[in-house]
Amino acid sequence: MPRRGSLVAYGVTRLVMAFPMLLILLTVVFVVLRIIPGDPIYALYGGRAKPSVVMAQRHKLGLDQPLYLQFANYIAQVFTGNFGTSLGPIFGGQNVMDVIMQRLPATVELAVGSMLVATIIGISVGILSGINRDRIVDVVGRLYGTIIFVIPIFWLGLMLQFVFAVDLKWFPVNSRFDVSIPPPATITGLYTIDSLLKGRLDAFAVAVRHLFLPCLTLGLVLSGFFTKTVRANLLRTAGADYVEAARARGIRRRAIVMRYAFKNALIPVITVLGLEFAILFAGAVLTETTFNWNGMGLLLVNSIEVQDYPLIQGTIIVYSFIIVIISLMVDFLNGLIDPRVRY
Amino acid sequence: MENRRTLAGVLSWIGLGIVVAFIVIAVLAPILAPYPVEGPSAIVAPKLQPPSLTHLMGTDESGQDVFSRVLWGAQTSLEVMAIGVVLALAIGFPVGLYSGYSGGAVDRIILLVMDSIYAFPGLLLALLVAVMLGKGVFNIGIAITVIYIPLYYRVTRNQTLSIREETYVEAARGLGARPWTIMWSYIAYNVLVTIPVIFALSAADAILTAAGLSFLGLGIQWPTPDWGLDLSIANTFGDIGNGVWWTSFFPGLMIILLTVGLSFLGEGLNDLVNPLLKKERA
Repeated sequence: MPRRGSLVAYGVTRLVMAFPMLLILLTVVFVVLRIIPGDPIYALYGGRAKPSVVMAQRHKLGLDQPLYLQFANYIAQVFTGNFGTSLGPIFGGQNVMDVIMQRLPATVELAVGSMLVATIIGISVGILSGINRDRIVDVVGRLYGTIIFVIPIFWLGLMLQFVFAVDLKWFPVNSRFDVSIPPPATITGLYTIDSLLKGRLDAFAVAVRHLFLPCLTLGLVLSGFFTKTVRANLLRTAGADYVEAARARGIRRRAIVMRYAFKNALIPVITVLGLEFAILFAGAVLTETTFNWNGMGLLLVNSIEVQDYPLIQGTIIVYSFIIVIISLMVDFLNGLIDPRVRY
Repeated sequence: MENRRTLAGVLSWIGLGIVVAFIVIAVLAPILAPYPVEGPSAIVAPKLQPPSLTHLMGTDESGQDVFSRVLWGAQTSLEVMAIGVVLALAIGFPVGLYSGYSGGAVDRIILLVMDSIYAFPGLLLALLVAVMLGKGVFNIGIAITVIYIPLYYRVTRNQTLSIREETYVEAARGLGARPWTIMWSYIAYNVLVTIPVIFALSAADAILTAAGLSFLGLGIQWPTPDWGLDLSIANTFGDIGNGVWWTSFFPGLMIILLTVGLSFLGEGLNDLVNPLLKKERA
């Protein structure tokens, strides 16, 4: 048995605690999709389909069984990764999990790129704001943090498209890749990584150009959160005893900010990362719709449009898993950096 | 130090001004809007006219006046927000009070459930509810409610937990007051004091979420004027790609103005109310 307070014990405890959270999330999804207004087939078809069609669909999805059986089936489906087959016109007959896995890399690429933009811009503005406390730079930085955070992602995306793609023509308006050249062969599904692995620098450049505006859009909106957190914590650590001590020893201001204050100001930033990821995935759905980006978010929106129930359910479940895994990783990272949070 | 207090004060006044202005616009939309927005008479001009003196914000894909739709949109937005946030408060507050006061296993279970819901991206949850309930102002209000219940619950519960240990609550308990009386007569008011900040900030977020739902085609049904919906239509028709910026620029600008107003109000209130910040400042 690992020692109490050790990293391993902490990790194991968090892992065990993640299960109820996942179960609750899955139950919430089940409740919303199956119980709220009757059942999904009614919600999706309304009164438009023939009763016989509705009955057949309900039977096919097992919706004519008692609820407890449906729930058992649902949980079994989730943990075997078998979400059935798509009913929609686009992916009809294909395995839901396969379809989602095809789309996942696009979302991962967008998410990683946006996070990169958000961290760089958010932390820089936060530091500038924090070390210039109450001066004009700080006021501008604080206003930036508040305003950028409430700008609708889709509006910002459309405006950036207008300026940088339509007017200046520096970047493509939307989509993941140029139609005129073939995308790189699929290895990871991430166009940037795949093109580099294949040594196709031309394809890499195209992929990055397509990534730029969507990542900038989502990254800018996410950066507001970082800005606020970094600023607030920099102010807090700036008054701490060890910073005072460093100052007394005559260490230069710049070195104090970077080595002492900033490092400790970053710990709470990692804590809010979990929240940031939740916003990131919701934001990705909007960004993907704005930029016609073929990821999971657009898949979800499209399956809602064509009333593809198994695909809607599958996508949401995969999102739940991603959220739980990320919150686990963030907690673990926290425990790694700051021994005080371990149990 | 004085300077900072002033900034927070100024921001909350600006925020309050913006919010009040939007309420006035929403109420007076029938008088202020130069053109009708629903029915056959709403098609007032050739489609996609750029902004001009007759159409201040141009016309959209169906030949409607964007300015009139934008004014009426304030009504839709505020309605959805009000339904969503007020219902969330009405549910989250009593549950949080009960959970925080009674403690024990019940508290832990409710907390776990609420935290799990809170961890899920709000927009996705609202989207799921919206899919099942269908479009419309009230349904979207409900979808919004679902995501903010955990927020109000959490704030109320945490606040209740600390107030529960106060001496005057202890005294009331010693005098034999019933839990119900203690919760509602002694604790509730002191928790409610912290709510306006959360209310303003969640209202801003609710407006963004509702606009997001409409943008994804799940929120408000055309021809009801709604900012998110107008942006969605502009995006569907690829207006930006055709150089038509006014059909998306103006509705989005309204969303930003209103949410910025609510955020300024919320953050200003927070700076003024939050004793922790005050202590740090001193």
